[in-house]
Amino acid sequence: MADRLLRHEDLRLITGRGRFTADVDLPGQLHAAMVRSDRAHARILALDVEAAGKADGVVAILTAKDVQAAGFRPLPSGAPIKGVGGEPHRTAPMPVLAENVVRFVGQPIAMVIAQTALQARDAAELVAVDYDELPVAATVAAALAEGAVQLHDAAPGNLALTYEDGDAEAVARAFAGAAMTSTLRIRSQRLVGSPLELRACVAAHDAARNVTVVHTPTQGMLGMRSSLHAVTGWPTDSIEVVAQDVGGSFGIRGGTFSEQVLAMLASRRLGRPVKWVASRSELFVGEWHGRALTLQGSVALDAQGNILALRFEHETDLGAYSCYWGSLIGTRNLSVTMGGVYRVPALHMRSRLVYTNTVPVSAYRGAGRPDIAFIIERLIDHAAVEHGLDPVDLRSRNFVPVDAFPYRTANGTVYDCGDFDGVMQHALELANYRHFPERRREAAARGQLRGIGFACYLEASGGGAAPSDQVAGRFDADGRLTLYAMTGPSGQGHETSFARIVSDGLGLSLDRIGYRASDPASGLVGNGTGGSRSLLGAGSAFKKLVDSIVDKARPHAAAALGVEPATVGFAKGRFYRLSGGTPAGGISDIPDDDAAIALSELVRQLAPLDASGHPLDCTADSVSGVTFPNGCHVAEIEVDPATGATRIESYVAVDDLGNIVSPELVRGQVHGGVVQGAGQAFGEAALYDADSGQLLSGTFTDYTMPRAGLIRRIVTDSHPVPTALNALGAKGVGESGCSGSLPALGNAMADALRGSGLPAAATLDMPYTPPRVWQALNS
Amino acid sequence: MTSVTLNVNGHSHVLDVEDRTLLVDLLREQLGLTGTHVGCDTSQCGCCTIHVDGVAAKSCTMLALQADGTDIVTIEGLAPTDRLHPVQTAFSSCHGLQCGYCTPGMIMAVTDLLARHPDPTDEQIRDGLAGNLCRCTGYVNIEAAVRAAASAMRR
Repeated sequence: MADRLLRHEDLRLITGRGRFTADVDLPGQLHAAMVRSDRAHARILALDVEAAGKADGVVAILTAKDVQAAGFRPLPSGAPIKGVGGEPHRTAPMPVLAENVVRFVGQPIAMVIAQTALQARDAAELVAVDYDELPVAATVAAALAEGAVQLHDAAPGNLALTYEDGDAEAVARAFAGAAMTSTLRIRSQRLVGSPLELRACVAAHDAARNVTVVHTPTQGMLGMRSSLHAVTGWPTDSIEVVAQDVGGSFGIRGGTFSEQVLAMLASRRLGRPVKWVASRSELFVGEWHGRALTLQGSVALDAQGNILALRFEHETDLGAYSCYWGSLIGTRNLSVTMGGVYRVPALHMRSRLVYTNTVPVSAYRGAGRPDIAFIIERLIDHAAVEHGLDPVDLRSRNFVPVDAFPYRTANGTVYDCGDFDGVMQHALELANYRHFPERRREAAARGQLRGIGFACYLEASGGGAAPSDQVAGRFDADGRLTLYAMTGPSGQGHETSFARIVSDGLGLSLDRIGYRASDPASGLVGNGTGGSRSLLGAGSAFKKLVDSIVDKARPHAAAALGVEPATVGFAKGRFYRLSGGTPAGGISDIPDDDAAIALSELVRQLAPLDASGHPLDCTADSVSGVTFPNGCHVAEIEVDPATGATRIESYVAVDDLGNIVSPELVRGQVHGGVVQGAGQAFGEAALYDADSGQLLSGTFTDYTMPRAGLIRRIVTDSHPVPTALNALGAKGVGESGCSGSLPALGNAMADALRGSGLPAAATLDMPYTPPRVWQALNS
Repeated sequence: MTSVTLNVNGHSHVLDVEDRTLLVDLLREQLGLTGTHVGCDTSQCGCCTIHVDGVAAKSCTMLALQADGTDIVTIEGLAPTDRLHPVQTAFSSCHGLQCGYCTPGMIMAVTDLLARHPDPTDEQIRDGLAGNLCRCTGYVNIEAAVRAAASAMRR
């Protein structure tokens, strides 16, 4: 049965035996429900919990007073990025529960704990909040306007930071001397990431051990535990984080929210487990939003079309508080690869990070990297159109050439390798780009606006904060191998990929190898999952583990074969006697009991009879540098001018992801990223009412998630340029799909709309919904 | 509290429920069948899809009381424990699942689709999947799984 299945994870998931956090029930558990602000900006004059406290089944109600009494700190506010002139980021950390002010609809105010979930919810509705409403600044423009209400004393004018990178003077000189320039300003709209699992937690304080076990979705135990410790102050080794199956995360659930630490506090106080499960509409205002940037790019070209400089001027909406990744998205994640795949002599970027009365913004698949790819590639196309240049030639002449690697960008990023022109040609060929004009004419005869767009993206992946990725392998008495690392999978297939690396390396059967992610007892240090780095990071460490296990086994093999270890070779799962060179007949011809012994046999022979560890148990670690996955995606669409509806006719993705371990899983990641980008392009938008700061798109009814058929076919191919920066030669794939699809689809739409003869239509912002497209075509 | 009688995965149950108890909550909490998931509160996502009297239904959009006297099949009851349904196998072999959260609902929706259209066109497939969201796969492999399952089941 199991051998027809693609992944080790699949059996439990397709039979409904996965264990997601909401599936966890502990004896004696209580249930929690949150009280959240329904005002965008208000002082809390009074919080009346009396009626709620008397409601059926209610056991406790936590408010800001309890949080303060417990000595909890606010939620982590992210990297302290410095701005222009070294100015510090004017952070505004979010309190676990609102104290005197609420600053966004959805901000947590109290937690009600009761015997049942319904009782907790009923009681939460009885909590009465007396608000004194304040003016609302729900958009970046409103927040930056003269006389705008100030959200935080620490941030005058609601400006958290003005960030700058690159050389403004060099760029200014380049623009002054340029033969041609172009500028484009576009929006990467605010999104609601919406992993399908409803976020939940079950916290169980064990007084006897003085340990609190927290079941909650994560992107790796260490990151989650570190955030729980940062907020609660409870010793790290008194917190155990358990996440078995995680239903998607996309950057959102790596750190704690208010609910987990409150459940921990409640459990400790009440001596019973406390369980909280969100509702979807609650998550729309109760979980970090994504993107929310306005991007402006300008390019300076010489008369031949060589890029002299790129200049960027961005605005980043942080939402009401600084949290987790917000500060990095609008700064370094945009600037690190702001030259894209091009040789650009001068680069400069300025970005303003602004507080608004909206849900705080943090990482969502790509976290700024799709956004910078979006503006670069839309800008290049825009320049080509404005100045009558061919978009393929314009890119081709400006790519970092193959012989220029390692290439140091004008702002100090070092790209280790790539073949940008080869990737583009490969993609255009697969997409039959050359014959597009005929397809456009044929579509026009049917009254349809057909457009083609491509994008050459590049992103930085794999920058992890841990000093290295440590992994371990432990054999049990039956010879089954369990692998350990600190990743936090949420669908990427780590149990399969890591087992494959080790299975291929050791010649052990796949079904004899298991993987335990983020086991608290493992004592390992390593990066969680984020920034597309688990395969190249932990995976590389597993590759080294293979070598370590072989080295440990070699003396035993030598003893079994009756020879010196130096004369023992290893290939395809077997140790064999080297007699002055490799055996003439090839390894598979050697009978097992004569001159070779299988590693699996050694494992069996060496299994201890007692409970002590297996002699071949070992650890390994790997330090993996930042890699630069890149690719060219080509999208072809048809717009029906009568309705504004778009059909995606073709989508081609050619990616340089270095060496690939699991082609099917990589393809799955590309598909997922591409369609998340398509979702942003064609429907998703978190819309706020500017006056009240109410979230208008508050459920899936109004927030247009991608559905089957949005992209009917995705042609993928690999154009690998293996990197030397990790043992696998792999580059990160998890987020790259978005970086390709946003600009490819944006360029396709601009191309289609240009066919209408209305220049303004071609700079339409996403989402390209039928009403918006129709209006652009009919204004 | 009101008494409901339902047959779930071949076993008859008599349970007391509040009037407002959703069918999905009865299945998950009172019967411990946590394979059926909740992903939204507006009937959009389809994670809660089960079969009620042979037809796919969103169990979050039914009250437990409405299921009185019905035959229910959840993901756990789709195939005997030692075998997989061709739709289940196809989802895995075509890599039509990543995190697995939407998967039980998808599988239940697809088995219903294939019962109605054993040789579905692409449009019928997309129409049949319209009530199920997936955030991870981008759907292309899910459609492939539907075709593969249809083909396997026709043999």
